[in-house]
Formats: sequence, C-alpha cells, structure tokens
Amino acid sequence: MTSVRLLAIVLAAWAVDVASEGIQVSTVARDGRVYVSCALSADVLADVDQAIQSGLATSVTYEADLRRPVSVWFDRTLASSTVTAAVQRDTLTGRYQISRSVDGRLEDSRVTDDKTAMRHFVMAFDRLPLFPAADLEPNAEYYVRVRVRTRPRVTWFFWPWDRPTATGFARFTFIP
Amino acid sequence: MPGTPPPRRRRPFRDNPVLVLAGILGLVAILAFTMTLANRSSQFAPDFLSEFVLYSLSVVDLTMLVALVFVLARSVIKMLVERRRGLPFARFRAKLVTALLGLTVVPAVLVLLVGSQIIFNSVDRWFNAPMDDILESAQRIASDYYHDRQRQVMDEAARIARVLGPADLGAADVRLVRDAVAPSVTGQILTLVEVYRVSGAPAGEARLIPVVDVASASVPALANRASSDRLAARALGGETGAWTREPLESGGELIRAAAAIRRPGGAVSGVVVATVHLTGELAARARRMTKAYESYTQLKVLKRPLTGVYLSFFLLVTLMILVSATWLGLYLAKRITRPVQLLAAAAREIGAGHFEHRVERETADEFGSLVDAFNTMTDELAESRRQVERSTIDLQAKHTEVEGRRRFTEAVLERVATGVITVDARGRIGTMNPAAQRLLGLGAEVIGQSARTVLGESDLQTLASLATMAFQPGREWPAQEISLVRDGREVQLAVAATPLPGERDAAGGRVLVLDDITPLIRAQKVAAWREVARRLAHEIKNPLTPIQLCAQRLQRQFASAPPETRTLVDECTATIVGEVESLKALVDEFSQFARMPAPRRVPTDLHQVLLGTLTLYDGLFQDVRIETLFAVSLPRIRLDGDQIRRVIINLIDNAIEAFNQHGQIVIETHHDPSASVVRILVADDGPGIPPEERDKLFMPYFSTKKRGSGLGLAIVRRIVAEHGGTIEVGSNQPRGTRFTIELPSQDRDMPPGAGAP
Repeated sequence: MTSVRLLAIVLAAWAVDVASEGIQVSTVARDGRVYVSCALSADVLADVDQAIQSGLATSVTYEADLRRPVSVWFDRTLASSTVTAAVQRDTLTGRYQISRSVDGRLEDSRVTDDKTAMRHFVMAFDRLPLFPAADLEPNAEYYVRVRVRTRPRVTWFFWPWDRPTATGFARFTFIP
Repeated sequence: MPGTPPPRRRRPFRDNPVLVLAGILGLVAILAFTMTLANRSSQFAPDFLSEFVLYSLSVVDLTMLVALVFVLARSVIKMLVERRRGLPFARFRAKLVTALLGLTVVPAVLVLLVGSQIIFNSVDRWFNAPMDDILESAQRIASDYYHDRQRQVMDEAARIARVLGPADLGAADVRLVRDAVAPSVTGQILTLVEVYRVSGAPAGEARLIPVVDVASASVPALANRASSDRLAARALGGETGAWTREPLESGGELIRAAAAIRRPGGAVSGVVVATVHLTGELAARARRMTKAYESYTQLKVLKRPLTGVYLSFFLLVTLMILVSATWLGLYLAKRITRPVQLLAAAAREIGAGHFEHRVERETADEFGSLVDAFNTMTDELAESRRQVERSTIDLQAKHTEVEGRRRFTEAVLERVATGVITVDARGRIGTMNPAAQRLLGLGAEVIGQSARTVLGESDLQTLASLATMAFQPGREWPAQEISLVRDGREVQLAVAATPLPGERDAAGGRVLVLDDITPLIRAQKVAAWREVARRLAHEIKNPLTPIQLCAQRLQRQFASAPPETRTLVDECTATIVGEVESLKALVDEFSQFARMPAPRRVPTDLHQVLLGTLTLYDGLFQDVRIETLFAVSLPRIRLDGDQIRRVIINLIDNAIEAFNQHGQIVIETHHDPSASVVRILVADDGPGIPPEERDKLFMPYFSTKKRGSGLGLAIVRRIVAEHGGTIEVGSNQPRGTRFTIELPSQDRDMPPGAGAP
C-alpha cells in the first residue's frame, strides 16, 4: 500500500513538473480568499500575438481549478473559476480594446495604445481572488491548476479533446 | 393458428425504395449544401470559418469516418462469419464488395491526395510577398494619414490651450476666447473647438463648464457633445494627449483631442477640445484599406484552419463517395446473393424435414420465378413425404406384427423340445434352435455355415443325406427315424423335412424338424418287456407248483427204493425243487416289475432317507467304506422314501458286487436352485462300465453280473422317472462308476407314465 501511494505521489509530481512549462502560477490564501496570479511565457502566445495584430477578436481563457490531492485516485476538484482576457486591435488607430472578466463578470475594460501594457494585460493577471478559503481544511495540501486556452484556434483540424495551450500548477498548504 | 396471417416482416432499409431514394436525396442535399458552403466560404468571416465551419465539418467528417469504419468492419466481420459457415455466395459477395471498394477507394484517395496538395499550394500562393507589401503599404498610408490628423488635432489643442492660459475663462465676455480660437477653425485646421472652464475650488469636486465653441460650417449636425465632455474630463483628470475618435452615421469620423488650459502658475483653469472632421469618403477609404489589410492578415493568421476547412470539404466529399460506394457494393451484393441464400437456407430447412417452410418472393424478376418454382417443388415434396409417412406407418404396423410373430416363433423354438433347423436355398443353416443344438451336439456357431459341412460329420451323415434328399424337387419326404450316438448314448430321432416356399415360386429352403423319440421308444420297449414279464410270470408260475409237487411226490414214492435209486431220486427231485424255487423267485421279480405301485410322494428329508438306508450296511462288509458328502442345506422334496431307499440300496449293492466287497463308495448330494433339482451322486471305485454298455444298463434283463434278473437298474430308472427325475451313468475319476440322480426340488406336474419302464 505504501509503495503504491509513493508511486502515485511520484507520478503526480512528475505530471505537475512537466505540465507547468509555459506558465507560472502562484497562490496566496489570505482574508478568506485564495488569490491566484498567473504569468504566461512570451513564446506561448506567439500565434495569439499574430492574431491580435491582425485585428481578430482574440481571447485568452484561464481555467483555474482549486484541487486537493487524493492518494491512489483522481484528485478532487473543490472549485473552478474562469478568467477571460479579451483583446481586439484597431488596426487603423493602433489602439487595443482590452477587457477581463471573471466567471463571465466583467472586471476591467479599457483602451490602450501601449502594446506592452496590452500584452501584460492578456498574458498575466495578479492576485485575483478566485476561490473562497472558508471551506479549506487548515494545514492541508492543495493546489491550483490553471489551463490556458486561446481563441481563435489556429489548428488544421478541430479536435474536441485538444490540449490546452499551457497548463500550470501551484501547490500550497492552507494556513488560516 | 389457422386463418391468422403471419405477421408481416418489416422490410429492411435496402429493400425499401422510398427509403433508398430518401437516402440518396439526403446525400445529394448534403453534397449540394457542402458545395454551396464551399463556394460562399469567401464571404464568411475568417474566424467564423475557422471556428464554426471547421467545427461542423470536423464533426461531419468524423461521423462519416466512423460510419465508414463501422460499415466496413461490419461487412468484413459478416463476410468472415459467412465464409466460415460456408454460406453460399459468401466468397462472391466478398469479391464483389472488394472490387467495388477497390474501384472507388483508389481513385478517391488519389483525388484526395492530389486535391489536398493543390489546396496547400493555392493557400501558400495567396499569402505571397508582393501581396504582403501592397496591403501593408496601403494600410500604412491610411494609418499614417490618420495619425497625422490625430497629431495635428492634438498639437492644435495644445497650442490653443497655451494661448488661452493667461485668459480669464470665467469672465462674462468670451470674445477674447472666441477670437483666439476662431483662426484655427476659419483656417480649416480644425472643424470644431470647444473650450471648458473649471468650476469649483476643491480640485476633487471641479466641474467643467462649456465656455465657448467655435465650429466650421462643415461640422456635422449630430456631433456628440457628450463625447467631448468625457474627453475633457479625461484631460482634466491629468491625462495628457487624450484623444478619441467618433464614427458618424453619415460615414465620416470625428477625431477629438483635449488639452488642459493652465494658468501661468500651473493651475488648470480649463480644457480645450479640438475636433477635426474626416469626411465620409476619406474615412471610408482609410477604413477600406485597413479592412483589406486586416482581412488579409487575419486570413494569414488563420491560414491553417482555413486550409483545414477546405481540406475538410474535400475529405467530406471523399468520405461521402466512399460510404456511398461501400453501401452500394454491399447493396448490390446483397441483392444478388440474398435470393440464393434464401433458397439455400430453405433447402436446408426442407432437408431437415420442415416441409412447411416457404421462401417469400421479394422480387418479380428471374429470382422471383426461381422462388416460385422452389415453393412448388416444396409442395410436391411435402405431399410425397405425407404419402411416404402413411406407407411408413403401415409398414411399421406390419413390421410390428411380423416382429411379434417372429418373437413368438423364437420363443416357441427356444422352449420347444423339438429340434428345428432351417436351411436356405443355398444350403446354409439359417436357424438352429437350442433343442436341435442339444440333440445334435452342436453350437450356435454353425448358423450360417453350410449344412453339408456341418452335418457331414461321421455321426451326422445320416441326417446330412436326409437333408440333401429333402432338397430334391417335386418330392415330399415323410418323417424318418434315424439313430445317432451322442456322448455314447444312442439317440433316436424322428426327422421330417418340409420345404419353405420362396418368392415367386422360387426354390426356398427347408425346415428340418427333429423329434427325440428315444424316451418314447424306450417306454415302448419297457412296456413290451412289462407285458412279456407279466405273461411270463403268468405262464411260468402256473406249472411250477405242480412240478414242485410232482417232484416231492416222486421223492416220497422212492423213499423205500434201494439206496442207489433213492439217492438218485433225491438228488433229482432236490434239483427240480430247487430250480422251481429259483424260477418262482424269478417270476416274483417279474411280477413285481410288472406291477410296481405308483410312488406316494410326500415332503421328505432326503438326507434322513439316505442316512437311514446307509445304516443297513453298518458292519456288514468289513472292506467296504461308504463316505457321505452331503450338501449343507437341502430343501425337503416330495418323494416316496421306500422307493428311493430301494434305488439307493440297488446302486450300493451293484457297487459292492462290482468291486467284490473291497472298495469305497461315495454318496454326495447337491442342490441346484437355478435348475430346481437335487442331485444324488453314487460313485464307486470299481472296475467301471464300458461306454457301449451304459445305455443298455437300464434295460430289463440286461446284466453284467453272472447272476441276477437284470431288472434292478430298470426298476431304479422307473422309480426315478416316476419321481419326475433322471438318472445317468458315467465314469468316476480316477476309476469306477458314477450314477447321477436328479430329482425335482419343487412340485412339478409329471407327465403320466413319463419315463416309467
């Protein structure tokens, strides 16, 4: 039993390490909320950047899951949240209309000429209170998994079970 | 249930013309829709194509692919199963479907490959370098013009703000302000200039109040004041270089820029909002150039999904062709082979005896006629089968009757004492019942062998010659008596030969009937001897007394004669009297033999009878030893004790006399429940009896002794026979004679006088 559990932990750790490439995820549990920060690598969004510059309505969706590891079984998902960063460039004026919504609720919307600000707005978000911490067990291990999907797709063929553009994890021990 | 029509079987899809036509129309409609979609794809937005259309086509392609794989896999499995079962036309179907698929798949795949390559090349050609340069240059021109006008408005707003910095925007006379602004409008640098002053001391609660606006004649009537107010507020909030664009319904566009008016001390006293009007045509051209560039770059970004869309179109058509060809091949193969398979299945049903099975006529073509002919043939077969069944029932009844007779005959032949032998026309023994086997000393193995060979043995030659003569045509042979020697005993047989009629007056076999008449002849002889004995006793006994009296009288008369004479007379008369006495004794025995009483049989312990008899010999002969080996248990049997005692005494006396009072006698008893007999064995170790004399031993007046009447064993046999038993004589091992008496252990009806001498 012990060896099986150890094997499961090793496999889970390997999966986390391998899948965390391309995105950095960090969490902070404070004031009864779990704050999540994400930052995508620049090379991950090469295709997305081209789409933005072409004037296509482009979106980057961060699907965040608060999960708890379970031994020798699938991890349990406690809560889910979706952060969508949308951007559309006016080619004539060179301005970007950017917006961010959390679980369909518009949180921020602005227009900017600054490409760097636009890229930062799309590729990262900082300390968004995505999950409540009230139901978390003290001193227990949790992790947040963030899967990134982009629109529009630039693949040859539509495949319903396509992989996310990037996937990241952040473990934390909940200390109230 | 008679009168109830069978439930109508649902016609499969392939045999329903309406459904087939609907399916074909559906495929054609899908094909037409696909072609229309492909033709109009250029009108769709790129992201619509890359998302919705690609998604739809991918789903349809996957569905078609799954359907094709399913149909092919199902067909392959069915064909393999049918081939394994050996169903007719399975190989033909497999070949037909394979040929049709081959004829379709190869060109379809080739067209798909070539078409895909063409699509790739065409898409690559769309996005070539000259096109990139042209569109990018056009877009840059439009963008540069736009930015120039934007910068111009911003610069002008900033200049006016600097000019109005010292001015008192709150004064009642605004002419100075208007004069400072008007040249920009009249000089057609700007279309509209709006000046706001800041009201309210606390900076946090400052409000902008329009002071003056100067507009050219070309400013659109529907210019949105609120837009200017929001832009002015942004500038008041500290944003430098705030600007905005406002599309107009007329097709033009307003570019606004705001700049804060600062007093010489740096405090904000107001805001200038400068507006320039881009006419509809100019803005539209700029927009069109930008739009063209956007479309181009978007297509370039979505190059892969768009290529995927066109490939999916192509793949969809190819899959439709493959599915249609597969289905068509299966349909044609089924249409051709199904009637034959139905007929084959029906033939198997008929072969299994299901004559009510019929094949449903599905088509009106030659296969339909074939089905009709098959059904007609099945009707005739069913009628013939019914006739055969009726005949079979009759035959079975007759066979049962014949079998009963045969069993009856066999039972009779098994039990009857008469021997029966059948010889077929070829001279082979057909049957030989147990009685015949016993009489002739043969076994059942001779059945099937040649009668001439079997009966050609030395002692059966008489019977063989009789059997041969019986085959001479045209003659009926009466029963004949023959004599055989079996186990040293002479057996008298009455043989009758009867011809067996053959088919159509052909020569059949013969039946030889053998009757063992030995007991009959023996009884006849004994009866004759009894009659002789009775007469002899009667004729001889009568003169004996006068002869004896006369001899005694002569003796008395010559009592006074001279001694020599008297001696002679005494000797002669004594001899006469003695011989007369002997003759009387002999006559008494004869009388006793002739008038022996019937036994009075009562349940008796045989061992007691035997032991009682043996006590008579206790101490009588010193050199004679009598040993008894009695059975452990013996049932009480019905017998006449006195007569059985006489039998035992006779046998013991004969034995003692045979070994001259020096020997051993063994008396054994056995019980054979299976044969329901009790056996008494009397054996001695005397000189024995030659085999040729054993059969005569029980005849009256036959004796191997120098003295005696020869009636002893004849009486013994008669007593045993009247008890329903038998007596046999044989050799004792290692020497001597053994008599075996079998008496029934249960009551049986004895034939009157059977075996009685």
